[in-house]
Amino acid sequence: MARVKNCFVIPGTFDEAGFAKSLKELTLRFEATEPAGNFDILDCHDQSLRASGKVLIQTDGSLFLLRGGGAKSQRCKGKGKLVQDLPDGPVKARLAGFPKLRALMNVGAGRAKHRSIAILGDLQKTQVRGTMMLLSSGQGQVTVVTVQHMRGYDRAYKTVCEKLTKLEGGKSKARPLFDWLFPDATIYKAKPEIRVSKQEPSIEVATDIIRTYLAVARQNEAGVIDDIDTEFLHDYRVSLRRVRSVISLFKDVFSPEQSVALRREFSGLMEPTGRVRDLDVYLLEKDSYFNLIPPNLHEGAVAMFAEFEKERSQALGRLSRRFRTQGYDNQMKKLTELFADPTNLQPGPNADRPAYENARALIWKRYRKTCKLARGITPNTPDEAVHNLRIDCKKLRYLMEFFAPLFDAEAFKTIIKPLKKLQDNLGLFNDFSVQQEALLNFVKQHTNKQGRADAQLALSVGGLISVLDQRQMAERDRVITSFKHFDSPDIRHLFRSLFHQKEG
Amino acid sequence: MKIIACYSNKGGVGKTATSVNLARAYAAAGHKVLLCDLDPQGASGFYLRVKPSKKLTDARFFEDVARFTKSIRASDFEGLDVLPANMTFRDFDVFLSRMRNTRSRLKKALISAGSDYEVIILDCPPNFSTLSENIFKAADRIVVPVIPTTLSERSFDQLVGFFDANKLSKKKLTAFFSMVQQRKTLHLETMDTMRKHYRKRFLHSSIPFAADIERMGQNRAPVSEFAPRSAAGLAYQVLYDEMENGVVSKR
Repeated sequence: MARVKNCFVIPGTFDEAGFAKSLKELTLRFEATEPAGNFDILDCHDQSLRASGKVLIQTDGSLFLLRGGGAKSQRCKGKGKLVQDLPDGPVKARLAGFPKLRALMNVGAGRAKHRSIAILGDLQKTQVRGTMMLLSSGQGQVTVVTVQHMRGYDRAYKTVCEKLTKLEGGKSKARPLFDWLFPDATIYKAKPEIRVSKQEPSIEVATDIIRTYLAVARQNEAGVIDDIDTEFLHDYRVSLRRVRSVISLFKDVFSPEQSVALRREFSGLMEPTGRVRDLDVYLLEKDSYFNLIPPNLHEGAVAMFAEFEKERSQALGRLSRRFRTQGYDNQMKKLTELFADPTNLQPGPNADRPAYENARALIWKRYRKTCKLARGITPNTPDEAVHNLRIDCKKLRYLMEFFAPLFDAEAFKTIIKPLKKLQDNLGLFNDFSVQQEALLNFVKQHTNKQGRADAQLALSVGGLISVLDQRQMAERDRVITSFKHFDSPDIRHLFRSLFHQKEG
Repeated sequence: MKIIACYSNKGGVGKTATSVNLARAYAAAGHKVLLCDLDPQGASGFYLRVKPSKKLTDARFFEDVARFTKSIRASDFEGLDVLPANMTFRDFDVFLSRMRNTRSRLKKALISAGSDYEVIILDCPPNFSTLSENIFKAADRIVVPVIPTTLSERSFDQLVGFFDANKLSKKKLTAFFSMVQQRKTLHLETMDTMRKHYRKRFLHSSIPFAADIERMGQNRAPVSEFAPRSAAGLAYQVLYDEMENGVVSKR
C-alpha cells in the first residue's frame, strides 16, 4: 500500500479528545513524554528550503526534515553547517540540491515537546504507531504528527491518516509550517521584485531600485558579522554594485554633482569589502587549486592557503568592526532616508523621461557599444579588450534586469540566455587572470630583499600559474564562440525590435 | 535467511513460549524476524495479540504467496512480525501428502514469502507427520525443548531415532532442558544422563520452571516485556546468546 504521506502538520492546539473520539473502535494511547526542549527551524538566509516546500527542524541533537507529507530524521546537528558537511544520512540525502555555498542557520525558534503515541485495536494490540511534536513559538503553535504503518494493519492506518488529514484542514487551508509558527517573519530576497511602469519618470525608477537594494545590503550585514557563510558578503556587494550601476547607467537622471558624490560614496562603501571577498573566493576554490597541480607541489600551496585563511579572518574582523560602528550605521541610515523619496534628490536633465522610452534608448546604446567592442576582438587583440567587454556585458545585463518588467518576458529570456553564457566565459577569463596576478603578488610579498622566494611556495605557485594561464587562453577562445551565438541574426533582430524600432 | 524450527514430538514442553521469547530476543538484537505459527491452536499469535488469519488456508499457505504475505502482521515489537495460525492448518498433513515433492514444499513457500526477513522462527505442532518432515527439511536448526523427565527422555530418543531412520542430519537438532526444577532430584539425574548420552545435542543453558512464563498468557507478551530481570527473562536471553553467538554462561 502507498505509504507516502505519513506526516501531518496540524495548526493550533491539537484536539486530543476529539481525535481520540473520531477513531471510534480504535484507542489512542499516549506513551512516553520527553521533557520539553528547544527547537530551531534551519534554513539558509534566502529560505531555499521553505521555498521548495521543506522544513528542517533541529531539536536537541536531531534533524527532522518535513517534505510533502513525508518525514525523515537523522541524529546530528545542522546549525551553522553547510549541507555537504553533514554526516551521511536520510536527511542529508533529501537535502541534495541545497545551495552549496549556503550554511544552515536559525530562521525561527521556540519550544518543542515530543510524545509517542500508539493506536490500539480491541486486543490492546498496537495497530499504528506514531510521534507527536508540539512546536510553539511566541506567535503560533503547530503539532507535527508522524505515523508509522504496521504490517497487516492497513485499515487502521488508513483510518488514522484520514482523521489526521481532516485535522490538517484539507488542501485549501494547507500552509507551510513556518507560516503558522512565524506569521510575521520577513523573508529575505536577494533580488526583490521592483515594479516599474512605462510612463514612470526615470528618477522614480532609479530611486525605487536604489532604495530596494540598499535594504537588501543591510539585511546581509548581520550574517557577515556572524560569518555564517560567504554568500552574505557576496549579496551585500552585489546589492551595492547594483546601486552603483543605477547611478552610472541611468544617465543624467540625477544632477551631475549628486551623481559624482553618490558614486564616490557607494564606492567608498564597497572598497573595504573587496579583500575579504577575494580571499573568500580563493578559499572556496581551495580544493580545485590542489587538483590543478600534482601532489608533489602541494606543500607550498598548503602554506599559502594557511596564510590566506589567517588574512581572511583578520580582514573579516576589520570589516565586522566597521559594520558595527555608529558612523557606518548613520551613513547607511542617511542614505536610506535620502532614497526614501525621489523628491529628496537633485534631478538631472533626464529625471522626468518616461521609463520605457529611457530604457529603450539606454539598452540600445549599450548593446551597440558592446557589440562593436566584441566584434573587434580577434585572437590578437590584447586582454584588456576582453576585460572591457566583460564590464560592458555586465552593464547591459544590469540595464536589462532593471527594466525587465517593461518588456516581453519570453523575448528577454531568449536574449539573456546567450548573454549569460557569454558572461560566464568572460567571468572565468577574468577569474583566471585575477588569480594569476594575485598569486604573483603573493610570491612577491614573500620574497626577500635579495629576490629569493621560498622554493616550495614558488614551485606551487609556478605550477598553478601555468595551468591558470592555459585555462585563461582556452576561455578566451570560448568568449569568441559565445559572442558569435549572442551576435546571431535572431538575437540581433530581437534587440532591434524590442529597443529600437518605432512603435506602431 | 535462517529458518529456526521450535519443535517437539511431545506436547506441553514450552515450544510456544520458546518460539515467542526467542523471536523477541532475535528482534531485540536487531534482526528482522518472522514468527510463523504453524500450530492450529494459534498460541504464539495469542501471546502477541495477533488474531488468527481468516483468509489463510493451508492451500494458500503453499500456493498463494501474495495471500501468505498479506496475512503477516506486525507485532508490537520492533522487527518482529507474525504469521498467525489458522484452524485449517490442522489439515496441512492431508494437504501435503497429496502433493508432489512433498518434503520441500514448506521451504519453498517460506523462501518466496519470507524474503524480507533475516530469521524465520516456526512454532510447530507436536507430532510426526508430513508437516514435521517438511519442517525437518526446511529448518536450518531445530530447537527442541526437553523436560528432564522419563517420558520426555523417551520422546527425544524417538526423535533421534526418526532422524537416524530417515537419514536426516542430526546436526540440526539443538535441544535444551525446559521447565527445569532444580530441587527435583529426578530432573537433575535425567539432565545428567541425557547430557552424557547426547553429548553434542544439548545446549548448556536451560529454561527454569517459572510462574513468569505461565503469566505470558495473562500479559499476552514475551517475558522480557513484563519481567525482564526475572529468572525466566534472563534464561531466554542466555539461551539466545548461546544459540546465536555460542556464548556459554557460567551461571
